[in-house]
Amino acid sequence: MKRLALKIKEPQSADFGTTNSVCPVCRELLEAKRVLRGDDLYLVKTCLEHGTFDTVIWRGVSDFPDWFAPTEPAYCPADNNGSPACFSGGLCENHATGTCCVLTEVTSRCNLHCPVCFADAGNAGEDVPLDELTRRFSDMAARGNTFVQLSGGEPTVRGDLPEVIRAAVRCGIKTVQLNTNGVLLGQSAGYAQELAEAGLSFVFLQFDGVTDGVYEQLRGQKLLETKLAAIDSCGRAGLGVTLVPTVVPGVNDGETGAIIKFAVSKSPTVRGVHFQPVSYFGRTAKTPENADRITLPEVMRAAAEQSGGLVRLSDFRPSTCDHPRCGFHADFAVLPGGSLMRIAGKKAQDCCGSSTAHLQNREFVARRWTRSREDEKKSDCCDTGTLDGFLTRVKSHGFTLTGMAFQDAYTLETERLSRCSLHVQDSGAIRPFCANYI
Amino acid sequence: MSENTVKCVKCGVALVLTKTVFQYMGRSFTHDVPTCPKCGAALIDRELAKGKMAEVERQLEDK
Repeated sequence: MKRLALKIKEPQSADFGTTNSVCPVCRELLEAKRVLRGDDLYLVKTCLEHGTFDTVIWRGVSDFPDWFAPTEPAYCPADNNGSPACFSGGLCENHATGTCCVLTEVTSRCNLHCPVCFADAGNAGEDVPLDELTRRFSDMAARGNTFVQLSGGEPTVRGDLPEVIRAAVRCGIKTVQLNTNGVLLGQSAGYAQELAEAGLSFVFLQFDGVTDGVYEQLRGQKLLETKLAAIDSCGRAGLGVTLVPTVVPGVNDGETGAIIKFAVSKSPTVRGVHFQPVSYFGRTAKTPENADRITLPEVMRAAAEQSGGLVRLSDFRPSTCDHPRCGFHADFAVLPGGSLMRIAGKKAQDCCGSSTAHLQNREFVARRWTRSREDEKKSDCCDTGTLDGFLTRVKSHGFTLTGMAFQDAYTLETERLSRCSLHVQDSGAIRPFCANYI
Repeated sequence: MSENTVKCVKCGVALVLTKTVFQYMGRSFTHDVPTCPKCGAALIDRELAKGKMAEVERQLEDK
């Protein structure tokens, strides 16, 4: 590091320890302190050149003790520029978690121009050549990374997306996930079927709310009908869909429960909801204030309070393959009539920190988010109090509520970064997701 | 497995399929299992133990 961080004194605050972060302006490593004010946790850091940054990272500590369980220390060293080494060089030898999923951008083009976009995609841009993608898929498979997320940009703008999927499967990728805004899936009859036949496993559908006002604010146009059509197309093609809302305070945090209820009503096509509290990297409208942020516990609370009893706060568990405060999950099956049967319980010993946590998570999400047409055919006649009936229903109507808090340059804690299992692969390095987009 | 082919080693009587309760991590499930009508001993064969029972355990355990 070229600069020394100021020592931060917060005498009125309880001490939640120190970590490393970066200056949001120059990206240099800084010491950062977690400071408790009331029941909320803030990350405070000072760059001698660019000033002090004081950012909320967790609202409501006392209700979520499991997210603050001790973890093994993880340390991310500095590179030659004074930034975290994984910003430039990729996963370092200190990285504490293996790869669960690999995200690769197949294009930088997009058919929307959203005011908020972590990838800062637009109408201009380029597709990654198919032979380069094939090389990446082969490299992933050789490393044992058999779960790929096709992302962008918007992957469906590529006319050869079915061929990209076939290439991934040929290379030995077992699970192919498509991250999409759903515009082409909703508009083009037969497209979902074409992708399914190519070997697509399931769809991660950008789905911010159940009213058009949300889409107008976040995506610049009304999109609800298109989203519904995309879900129906995937349903007919036998593809599972996980809804992915970017949660923004004052825009759609009041629709959390409605999104869950809608998702349940679309089971078994819809396999769950994956909430992503807004992060401020890529294309954002302004420098974020704390009022512009919603933290993971607030999303969990909103889900419990707005879902009309479908979901309880106690249903949620911390991330077990990333850092605990990077995510949550709750595991259910949808029963006939639309109620939720809770599935997973708390193990005596979490797998967090084990050498196979990323593999367990990979297997879990692939199992839950993939549809089983065979089990769907017989699931309505089954008694879930029997071994056979339970297994059939869980496989046919599995339903997860998950969340992931991406870190931006303001909220970054390098010890969380060191535990990231979602990695991005481009033509060069493999990086933790947040390191790639900060 | 035919229920008539296996006898209870203790009682010497043929096992009969009986609805049996399995409990794991706070949940209960029933399944028909060959059971001795005299002493109640149940036979959990390898196929069931490594098949459905293992799969239910895997589903119930937190990821």
